[in-house]
Amino acid sequence: MKENEFEADKGEEKVRLIVDGRRLDGRGFEELRPMRIEAGILKRADGSCYLEMGRNKVVAAVYGPREVHPRHLQEPSKAVIRYRYNMAPFSVEERKRPGPDRRSVEISKVSREAYESVIMKELFPRSGIDIFVEVLQADAGTRTACLNAATVALVDAGIPMRGLITSVAVAKVDGVLVLDPMKEEDNFGEADVPFAFVIRNGRIESIALVQMDGKMTVEEMKRALEIAKKGAMQIYKLQREAIVKKYEAIEIEEE
Amino acid sequence: MNARRLVLPGDLVSTNPRTAGYGTFVENGKVYAKVMGLMDKTDNLVRIIPLKGRYIPSPGDVVIGIVREVVSNGWNVDINSPYPAFLPTSEKPEMKGRKMNDILDMDDAIIARVVAIDPKMKVTLTMRDKVCRPIRFGRVVAINPTRVPRVIGKKGSMIKLLKNELGVQIVVGQNGLIWLSGDRKKVDIVEEAIYKIEKEAHTEGLTDRITEFIKKRKEGLQNERK
Amino acid sequence: MGEEILMDIKKDYVLSRLRDGERIDGRRLDEIRPIEIETNIISKAEGSALVKLGDTQVMVGIKMQPGEPFPDVPDRGVIITNAELVPLASPTFEAGPPDEISIELARVVDRGIRESEAVDLMKLCIEEGEKVWMIFIDIHALDDDGNLIDASALAAIAALLNTTVPAERFGLGDDFPLPVRNLPVAITSLIVGERYLIDPTRDEMSVGHKLITITSDKNDNIVAMQKSGSYLLSEQKFYELIDVSVEKAKEVRELLKEI
Repeated sequence: MKENEFEADKGEEKVRLIVDGRRLDGRGFEELRPMRIEAGILKRADGSCYLEMGRNKVVAAVYGPREVHPRHLQEPSKAVIRYRYNMAPFSVEERKRPGPDRRSVEISKVSREAYESVIMKELFPRSGIDIFVEVLQADAGTRTACLNAATVALVDAGIPMRGLITSVAVAKVDGVLVLDPMKEEDNFGEADVPFAFVIRNGRIESIALVQMDGKMTVEEMKRALEIAKKGAMQIYKLQREAIVKKYEAIEIEEE
Repeated sequence: MNARRLVLPGDLVSTNPRTAGYGTFVENGKVYAKVMGLMDKTDNLVRIIPLKGRYIPSPGDVVIGIVREVVSNGWNVDINSPYPAFLPTSEKPEMKGRKMNDILDMDDAIIARVVAIDPKMKVTLTMRDKVCRPIRFGRVVAINPTRVPRVIGKKGSMIKLLKNELGVQIVVGQNGLIWLSGDRKKVDIVEEAIYKIEKEAHTEGLTDRITEFIKKRKEGLQNERK
Repeated sequence: MGEEILMDIKKDYVLSRLRDGERIDGRRLDEIRPIEIETNIISKAEGSALVKLGDTQVMVGIKMQPGEPFPDVPDRGVIITNAELVPLASPTFEAGPPDEISIELARVVDRGIRESEAVDLMKLCIEEGEKVWMIFIDIHALDDDGNLIDASALAAIAALLNTTVPAERFGLGDDFPLPVRNLPVAITSLIVGERYLIDPTRDEMSVGHKLITITSDKNDNIVAMQKSGSYLLSEQKFYELIDVSVEKAKEVRELLKEI
């Protein structure tokens, strides 16, 4: 896919993000960026995934269930879920100081909460399940990319879940709702709404995460949800393919 | 011959809740997979054979562990699980008034059996069993615990094959740790065979391939020794 | 728990094979694992590299921006090296500020690059005493299967080799390739009794944390050295290790020349 090189003007002139009915990178309004998903790419982690979503490049790893340290953080009736979203210093244009900032802490929290409703934590009392995601290159929608990678890593680790979590954002740019915004749309659009859904057996069951930055009418939000659902179903298929590809050598009946 | 489908968490595997077996959960009268694995479905039962996952102890399991700590009434043992295990002195035969760490000391490896796992997830072990012993020699290899049934084989067929063909002592722990003892080069062959079984666990014709593999390796050994 | 048990099991096995002069993965005592180097993977960074040393994986990203020089060297660019041993890479890494292992790793990699003068810092002066180019070398561990130091050092120099100074972005003229004029290579050995194992894997590390890292440059000068771990080294071993490390570094340097 060819990328339209368009330097957004931050000055007096209004930024045009939709030109001749097309987005700056040539995509249709409800078109996802190209994605690439590979499961089981790390040796040490129990489950892992490398994922590209447009120019986003993220790696997710899952460790667990495993012992919780310090012990007092254990829960008697279920596993403790931890999710750590982290950006590598070289992942953004202006080098980011290592370590969590307020934004990373917030993203980690809402992402963890999405998984807490889906991972069967009651099966592993007094243990912990850790999800770590590193953003190696960022280009809008890193939190959605990370969630998609984390899901594949959790499946790869054999963690029991009620369904899969799939995530995608919808933005409003130049009055138009677009799926999976890239950087300029995220920076200069009127609203950005990341969603994460629980998908079971090929159907969207519920919303596990939703946030909004910006302003929208109620009608727009309803339409944004529909657009997001369609996008999520496409990503869900790719998540499945990544797992099947990794384990496809395994089949047929035992003797 | 039923092809075993790879399923992911949340996949619908049956509409009959009475057939719900291992690895599934029931919601609103429907049966879903809860882990990634191979679906094994018959008319009466649908279960999921998991392909990944940490070892969760179950009473009766034979496990291999390492002593981490000697305490007054027993030993804390690491059994490669999210849950630490404990071997009480009452469960260790031949105590005979000896000192605790003369019998089993830190970093000793043992073959033990899981007696129980209590609601606080504390695992109790015993060594009062023929197969249990401290490991003083030999080699321990580690594999994905979900592949252990394949290394053992239907009615122990695979492990019998390895033992008979190579004359090596083998004890398979349910926690994915396997103790091997015998002639060094033969143990090397068994170790390689085990990794091969682990990798190809769910493919067709594995037993034949392993038999072939062992035969070739044995020939190689004999040629070496000439 | 969990991970440690596998280490303990390996320890006896590593030692017993070693008695026959063998390593558990079949390598010779002085053999380095297969190396894969991929550069320019993070297009938003000024330079980047991913190194796979066996199953160990490290990514290094280079970011550059103008900044103030150090007062004692007002006409030179500045290099800042940091290592993040993120919890994703190993069950034993914890989130948090760099611990002594990460700091040691970053500083050893940094010294190799600095002392070999791999980057001509004089060429990175914009305005003497006021403005120079800062180079941030950020090491990001992805998978620790032993010897993160050598993998990180290699990724760092590989990343520098494909770094472009982003002058245009800051209105400081045209972009230009970062001038790199040396190829420091770190070689780490694990000391086990009378023997040493080059490029130890994590399983081999189970016998104890007794390491020595020797970094040499393209002229076979030693540009960094670090003994790591509580153990004693004889003079004779010391000289042997230096000779071997400089030799092995040459092999690895060939890979860098192909970039």
